[in-house]
Amino acid sequence: MAAPVDSVGKPSAERSPFNSTSFQKKTRSKLISIPGTRPSVQNGQLLVSTGVTSLDYLLGGGLAVGTVLLIEEDRYDSYSRMILKYFLAEGVVCRHELFVAAAQDNPDDILQELPAPILDDVAIHKPVDQPRLSCEPQDSLDAMKIAWRYQNLPKVQSALASTSRFGHYYDVSKTMEPEIRQAAKCHRFYLPEHPTQSSTTHSPMIESYSALLKSLQEVIHREGFDIAASMPKSRNILRVGLHSLGSALWGDDLSCHDNPRHSHALTTFLYGLRALLRSSLAVAVVTVPSHLIQDRALMGSITRLCDNAIALESFKGSERETNPLYKDYHGLLHVHQVPHLNCLASQLPDHKDLAFKLKRKQFTIEVCRQGYSVQSNCLSRKLSIHPFHNVTDCNPSSEKPVCTFVCYWVTKSKVKLLIVLCWCQSYYSVTFRGNRV
Amino acid sequence: MLSELLQGTDTGGFLVIQDSSSCTGRHLLKSFINAALNREENIHVLGFEVSEEELGEGLNTSAPQRLHFHNAYSDPLGWTDHLTFTVHQFCLDELTHLVKQTSQSKPATLVIDSLSWILRHQSPPAVCKTLQQLKRGGAVRAIIGLLHADMHQKGTVGSVCHLATSVITVAPGMKGDEAVAKITKRSKSGKVMQYEEIFSIKDDLTVIVQSKPSHLEHKQTDPEEQQMDPTAHLTFNLRLSDTERKAKEKLALPFVFSKEKKTALLHSGQGSGRILYEPDANDDYDQEDPDDDLDV
Repeated sequence: MAAPVDSVGKPSAERSPFNSTSFQKKTRSKLISIPGTRPSVQNGQLLVSTGVTSLDYLLGGGLAVGTVLLIEEDRYDSYSRMILKYFLAEGVVCRHELFVAAAQDNPDDILQELPAPILDDVAIHKPVDQPRLSCEPQDSLDAMKIAWRYQNLPKVQSALASTSRFGHYYDVSKTMEPEIRQAAKCHRFYLPEHPTQSSTTHSPMIESYSALLKSLQEVIHREGFDIAASMPKSRNILRVGLHSLGSALWGDDLSCHDNPRHSHALTTFLYGLRALLRSSLAVAVVTVPSHLIQDRALMGSITRLCDNAIALESFKGSERETNPLYKDYHGLLHVHQVPHLNCLASQLPDHKDLAFKLKRKQFTIEVCRQGYSVQSNCLSRKLSIHPFHNVTDCNPSSEKPVCTFVCYWVTKSKVKLLIVLCWCQSYYSVTFRGNRV
Repeated sequence: MLSELLQGTDTGGFLVIQDSSSCTGRHLLKSFINAALNREENIHVLGFEVSEEELGEGLNTSAPQRLHFHNAYSDPLGWTDHLTFTVHQFCLDELTHLVKQTSQSKPATLVIDSLSWILRHQSPPAVCKTLQQLKRGGAVRAIIGLLHADMHQKGTVGSVCHLATSVITVAPGMKGDEAVAKITKRSKSGKVMQYEEIFSIKDDLTVIVQSKPSHLEHKQTDPEEQQMDPTAHLTFNLRLSDTERKAKEKLALPFVFSKEKKTALLHSGQGSGRILYEPDANDDYDQEDPDDDLDV
């Protein structure tokens, strides 16, 4: 019972207008407490949410700060763009700073399309003079018939809610309101606005990537996201969203030619990006149009250079669209890489056949159930089957199932029955687990 | 869908007609030019592959000042010093200058015959960049390009089609004069729709769609899950009739005060729900809270 003794008797004037109770959680943790993050249960890394709760679960709780998530785009770049928008929207809701870079669309357009959060418990930062709803007493009396005593209490919960809640839900059919979006600080990098000067040094990275990396480094240094920076004020996380790296609009011919001339441009950039992120409080999500990249070895090295890597394969336009197995889903999700950060073994996802579905209020990732065959033996459905080999031969000519041989073992935890059925040339052993009677 | 596309691409649209050696897409391209001419639009054609005479065959020649043909057929690489359009002039500034100097107030449609020619002499990233800039800028209203898919690597074709708002892939059909068109259309909201149609082109360049389009349309977001009515299929009645509902609303709830008492109560005690807690000796106020490291 951690009742904070120090908050007892706190005068009401000091209380912030958003607080509805005077309870404050006592934090004794040594980790820096940044809103929107939490330490991982597995290895203590600081995690941020990707905005999609099922993706957080797949990645082992969330994205570790200082890592890169690679999303291999689906064919028409619809779902990967959606995940990027979820990631940025989560940053706005958690009050992180954003850095968006794109070559095809203006980052402002991407930011205007962010989905609206489902605002049960997100504090809306409207400047409120008094913590009351400014409505007439007449209206307020009619508003609630039974719970009328609570009418005048503010409907917005305290800011504490956003720190304790990890991962929010978004409504895709609505866009985020401009007030919420403008409250977050966004840095933009739109490639056509940056004139590329040909570099004198013979570096494997092309000019657009160099300019991007330089811009990111400058933002990190200027805003104080370096871990080594000695800023005493509260720390924040920088969320970096890089759209469609490796596409032709970045000046890279990785996706155009089978043997690209700039084969090491993107890999050098990712190496530099990861080094930059490791020494700062930032997370990056990078989308790459891997369906255009023909060199699979290069794609493999790009995957290895990022910490997390997932690939989206949408069913649109492929023959799987009409497959009844996949009718509930919009595409398949493949996890190509999970990170091992400060540990020897990484947390692999249990299942390999994952499928995703974009619903209005949620992006769900589920195991794609292959479906049981309809003609399965009802016996096999109800009991656990262990094929058991050392039994006497059964007589195949008899027609009725005859239980010829039953023996049982009683051990400490279970009673094991061996039932041999004659009409089928297989044996089933039945295990009953439970208490010994 | 093909007829809708023929009626005019939206502004800022980039249409790619992909063909191969087995079935040429130039007739469909000419149908698009013809349809645009019938709509009284200005058209600029960059002709790399066929001469002006050959391309002009069958087109509506009622208003020749609306169709501007830039001859890139006779000397595309600029070997002689004639003033023709060369492939090196395919960049944003030159094209904008070209379009602006010859067209009137309305932005024109740019037709490129063909993109393959340009892609062979300029690097694909540069071509993609120019196309994207043309799409975004206001100089041209729409771009229609012909691309020979079997002349390039898969990645190049994919990169160019990735930029396009609509892609029509023509393939030979069952009968001689028929062709199959596979259309992928991307709308501004991100929805992608796919259609497959059989069409044929008459001598006057009108397109006749033979079969019903078989489209596979997919919305990106699901329609809102249908609300299951919980009061249906029950053995007892949970629904209310009108009289019952009125009686329910008229029912006086216990502890309901009159309006005056409510306002009095509301305005006097505002937000004074304080919890005063003083732990005494009997309370187990644990220094080490085991709930602290719960991952909830």
